[in-house]
Amino acid sequence: MSRKIIELKNLTKSYNGTKAVDNINLFIRENEFITLLGPSGCGKTTTLRMIGGFENPDSGDILFEGVRINDLPPYKRNINTIFQRYALFTHMNVYENIAFGLRIKKTPKDEMDRRIKKMLKLVELEGFEKRHVDSLSGGQQQRVAIARALVNEPKVLLLDEPLAALDLKLRKEMQIELMDMQKNVGITFIYVTHDQEEALTMSDTVVVMNNGVIQQVGSPVDIYNEPKNRFVADFIGESNILEGVMIEDYLVEFAGKKFKCVDKGFQHNEPVDVVIRPEDIDVTRREDGLLEGVVTSVVFKGVHYEMLVESNGFEYMIHSTDMQEVGSEVGLTFGPEDIHVMKREVTEIEKQG
Amino acid sequence: MVRYSAKAGVLSAIFMGLGQLYNRQVVKGILFLLAEILYIIFILPYNIESIRGLITLGDKPQEIVDGKIIQGDHSIFLMVFGIISVIVLLLFIVFYLLNIRDAIAVGKQREHGRVPAGFINSLKTASEKGFPYLFLSPAVILILFITVVPLIFGILIAFTNYSSPDHLPPRNLVDWVGFDNFINLFKLSTFSRTFFGVALWTVVWAVVSSVTAFFTGMFFAVLINSKGVAVKKFWRTIFILPWAMPGFISILIMRNMFNGQFGPINKYLQAIGLGAVPWLADKTWAKITCLLVNLWLAFPYYMAMISGVLTSISNELYEAASIEGANAVKQFTKITLPIVMYSTAPLLIMGIAHNFNNFNLIYLLTMGNPTNTSYSYAGHTDILLSWLYKLTLDQSQFHMASVVSIIIFVIVAVMSVINFSYTKSFREEDMVQ
Ligand SMILES: Nc1ncnc2c1ncn2[C@@H]1O[C@H](COP(=O)(O)OP(=O)(O)O)[C@@H](O)[C@H]1O
Ligand SMILES: [Mg+2]
Repeated sequence: MSRKIIELKNLTKSYNGTKAVDNINLFIRENEFITLLGPSGCGKTTTLRMIGGFENPDSGDILFEGVRINDLPPYKRNINTIFQRYALFTHMNVYENIAFGLRIKKTPKDEMDRRIKKMLKLVELEGFEKRHVDSLSGGQQQRVAIARALVNEPKVLLLDEPLAALDLKLRKEMQIELMDMQKNVGITFIYVTHDQEEALTMSDTVVVMNNGVIQQVGSPVDIYNEPKNRFVADFIGESNILEGVMIEDYLVEFAGKKFKCVDKGFQHNEPVDVVIRPEDIDVTRREDGLLEGVVTSVVFKGVHYEMLVESNGFEYMIHSTDMQEVGSEVGLTFGPEDIHVMKREVTEIEKQG
Repeated sequence: MVRYSAKAGVLSAIFMGLGQLYNRQVVKGILFLLAEILYIIFILPYNIESIRGLITLGDKPQEIVDGKIIQGDHSIFLMVFGIISVIVLLLFIVFYLLNIRDAIAVGKQREHGRVPAGFINSLKTASEKGFPYLFLSPAVILILFITVVPLIFGILIAFTNYSSPDHLPPRNLVDWVGFDNFINLFKLSTFSRTFFGVALWTVVWAVVSSVTAFFTGMFFAVLINSKGVAVKKFWRTIFILPWAMPGFISILIMRNMFNGQFGPINKYLQAIGLGAVPWLADKTWAKITCLLVNLWLAFPYYMAMISGVLTSISNELYEAASIEGANAVKQFTKITLPIVMYSTAPLLIMGIAHNFNNFNLIYLLTMGNPTNTSYSYAGHTDILLSWLYKLTLDQSQFHMASVVSIIIFVIVAVMSVINFSYTKSFREEDMVQ
């Protein structure tokens, strides 16, 4: 494990009395691709802007390589930002945009040329030096913004929904390019998005946020398979979320029955939320199922069928490669490891060291 | 193959309508024929007479016989009627050419074996094809007589000696003098000294007044838009007030305020122990006063325009610049200033063109005074246009006024062209280094 490069300690920021970011604790490792994920307005941008130095936290500390940087101006932080709408200097050409910071630092001409050439090669815009940024496509403008940020050789790059303005195809291409670039250049990316698929595809670590509070931190696989609460489960993907009661360790009751599970550490008879992913449920003959139900709808989704099965007043969503007729009576089965038990109330969860 | 077209063309050239008749288009031919006959009988003699008048500008001066005035020729009326006649003649010639073209076109159709269209049909196609022209023609004719005639008249005056005291109709005749007036303006010391003196001040005035107003406007715009300023709306409203008031009222108020003897400004200066300033009486102070008053009146306009540009600059741009280490000064010079100049430089040039002819301000504020004894009919603060006004309305020096107005026209036209190409090149090219 590489060392921590940024740490956020009890970071809080309010606007007009409402908390945009509420007591966040998080650390980010060197060369990590970490993504802040959450619905619009959950405080992702605010968090990012505090790291970048554009907002001052009301309380809490921001550490960079162990040193408190709360009071450093943005340009002294060794952190650079890709803005949501790129923030290119439209009155300058590509070369001048990238050269902006170098000129201010009075970099010698030949070194400046060399570094800009290298950057243009990295973002595959060689030969575009003299082009006016207005004449570039969205994707190209994005690359110029990346080149401008990376030419200063920052240790951390902040990206606030950088792909939101691109169309789907270009977005997919840029996702891959950004991931490659991050690995090749070897710097830390702190990435913000509200798109769960993007977050799960690109990141080493995903931070799920809601209402200014971190809900869960973990690898994409962890987040997907072991959502810590109802919000995460719901936000990360289509899920069957049921209310249940944890009878004892390894035994949970929902849908009127008791099931074996792999979760423990709850109180006796504690109310919980239970998640079962649509692809973890198997459809069987009626008499072989743990639960019985009636198929109410079937939609073909390209690689699988998406079925709704009504059982005991709850509609289960199931992804399966076998099709069942609408109206047919079926059984549903799942193993103990397919049942994810979560605490009922939304709590603040901190990343474990 | 029969060469209908050539024959028809020649016939129509000889007399309107003949070609059409030859093409078996009887009604059309007769109408054309009638048109020419009517023109020859009713209009042509009058045209010839007026054009002769335009050439001679009259040869019978006003006479006084036995104490009675016997009216002679009025040169100026002759000139106006002459110009109108020339235009009418030109319109008739265009009509004549159309008639020939029509005859040739129909002749060509016949060569290709087509039967020429009947009157009703050609009327139909004409009204279909010519519909837009039909609607435009009243406007075109109106423009010809309302705009073009006075324009030509104004230009022609420059080539006459139409002036007080010896060449003022109806008492005297006016004569063509060729380029004498232009030569005199540059050679005759009284006129050339005035012209160059006034022209120099006009240029200085136009440039300095616009540039000061522009940058003062920018200064206030940047100030109001800066982060720390609360209630931006209030400041914007306060500063826009001088501009919202009708200009001539503000100027007349200013004229009283700056009055050397009774003006509140001098009263105030004296009250706090400073001496009175000859705001309008001294030649240098009068110029400064003009510039100050214009500054007061014009900067809100630029402030409003530049404010608009400033608010459209995304805050992210400044944040991006601040990551790169740009301090406030660098952010202004490398972002704000280029972006503002980029979109408002044409306004500045338009402002210069406007002030070049800002008659209102000069005339209402100083009337061109204080007088300059070495100038003919102009004062120290006169700009070309106010001098022009004096030349015509006070001094009846119409010939020189016309020369000056032609020169003003050329200068303003050149500035407009420059502005136009400048704006265009601005759009098309990078403007950095
Ligand atoms: N400059 C600001 N002034 C007032 N409220 C703000 C400001 N910036 C953000 N907020 C509020 O803070 C909350 C979090 O916003 P933000 O961090 O932009 O969310 P996200 O980026 O996750 O969509 C929102 O409710 C937003 O309205
Ligand atoms: Mg945001």
